[in-house]
Amino acid sequence: MNKKKQIFTPVSEKEVTRAIVDGFAKQFIEYVESDCLIIGGGPSGLMAGRDIALKGVKTLIVERNNYIGGGFWIGGYLMNKVTVREPGQKILEELGIPYEKAVKGLYVADGPHACSKLIAAACDAGVKFANMTIFDDVVLREGNQVCGAVVNWTPVNTLPREITCVDPIALEAKFVVDSTGHDACVVKKLEERGILKTTGFGAMWVEQSEDLVVEHTGEAHPGLIVTGMAVATTYGLPRMGPTFGAMLLSGRKGAQVILEKMKKK
Amino acid sequence: MNDFIHPIPSTIDLYEEGDLDGLSIIELGQYLKGKTHIPFRIRGNIYKRFSGKRIGEVSKELARIKVRDPGKRFFLEVPLQAEVDYEKRRISDPHWKIFGILYDGVHYQKIILDLVFKGDINLKHCVILFTNQLFGTWDRDNHRYHARVSLYSFPSLISITGLVEAPAKPKEFYLKKQMGIPIEFLKEEYQGRFLDHGDLRMTEVLKGYAMQALLFYITGDPFCGDRDCRLFNSHWQEEVLHSQMNGKYEFCPKHELILKGIRERR
Repeated sequence: MNKKKQIFTPVSEKEVTRAIVDGFAKQFIEYVESDCLIIGGGPSGLMAGRDIALKGVKTLIVERNNYIGGGFWIGGYLMNKVTVREPGQKILEELGIPYEKAVKGLYVADGPHACSKLIAAACDAGVKFANMTIFDDVVLREGNQVCGAVVNWTPVNTLPREITCVDPIALEAKFVVDSTGHDACVVKKLEERGILKTTGFGAMWVEQSEDLVVEHTGEAHPGLIVTGMAVATTYGLPRMGPTFGAMLLSGRKGAQVILEKMKKK
Repeated sequence: MNDFIHPIPSTIDLYEEGDLDGLSIIELGQYLKGKTHIPFRIRGNIYKRFSGKRIGEVSKELARIKVRDPGKRFFLEVPLQAEVDYEKRRISDPHWKIFGILYDGVHYQKIILDLVFKGDINLKHCVILFTNQLFGTWDRDNHRYHARVSLYSFPSLISITGLVEAPAKPKEFYLKKQMGIPIEFLKEEYQGRFLDHGDLRMTEVLKGYAMQALLFYITGDPFCGDRDCRLFNSHWQEEVLHSQMNGKYEFCPKHELILKGIRERR
């Protein structure tokens, strides 16, 4: 009697568990120390990570959500079309993201397509991810140089207070990037410690804030590069609206700053 | 009518800051000269004659006077180094295009005054700076900062960015913008009803503002209540376009008389 052939190879539950733990542990041990630790997996963090990883820089992106991509999945008012102003469409082209011209100087793409392509580009370049991982604090060395981050599982934050005694762990890196959006979590942590002072973002003014965000992207403090919306918070620039060109270009500029600084080191 | 409170200046000195996006300073100077017979001098970029050390000092001062929250009264800040570096890059490049930071206009004017007069006001020359940067002043009535086109003083400041951003656009423009319609679409829909960056009408429109600066210098009163006169203090873009380009006359009879008086005293 012919036995019906199974589609999948039989594997036991324990082997599945071992594969997950082994794979995670191997990568995690390797990335406890990296060249660059990016906090926030939105468009600017992904873009920065992708560009530096392409140059062989060992890069880990920490993301507090299960999903990577931040707000790049959707545009304004929860509508899943994302817009970029010229010259942002050149990056869309580079990443193979289809887009259409809306009006002169403005281009529109499908959010899911754009975001998934950007994530894939970062993965293909060699970026690794620690998702469901939340930034807790900075690691500082002599002269308050930022050289890592203290992180924890995101769900720890939602546990009842009496069982939240789950200590965080530290990750070390030559550079830390704050790409946490308007929250600017890493910069705010330095502010809490009295190391630097920010003043928050101004009124929303899309047309001009994009240029200013790119222009101000760079090292805000030794060892700490700020990209994307976090730049607006750090320097009190006008608040950004739902266009993503500046996020992509800011990420790219952040990557350039890191690569130049690594050369000097 | 105000009589002249200052002597007629021997020259009108026109300075620039940043990329003025096609604005013809020579045409403005010729216009003022034609109307008043006062000669003008094109002085070029305001920062060009200063050393690296002075540029560094001015960069620090400019980084301190950013209005971070238009709803709160300005106070001097200790800037981050990257903000000072930004200002240094900006003022070191006479073709700098980026704008969007709102500066406190009163402090901005003081910085320019120190650069032009080195703290000692010289009333022989009427000085006007044309800038691509944006400044605002605190409104005591509604307790917030408002962007301005001009700040008349010694020297006077006129902002080409302010001319686009300060006078209000049609109300429907803002309602649609709040609904999330991209500004590029709105610019197409309302084309011609307001001035945009790089607008070819900019030089023509700024002739009236340059004259306001000169009349402030001579009479202490830059404005006129007649919306057909180029000296009308416009609060809406449609008023700007009307008084500067479509008015019944260039200057009202009262101000034509003042201009005649200036020409006769030369």
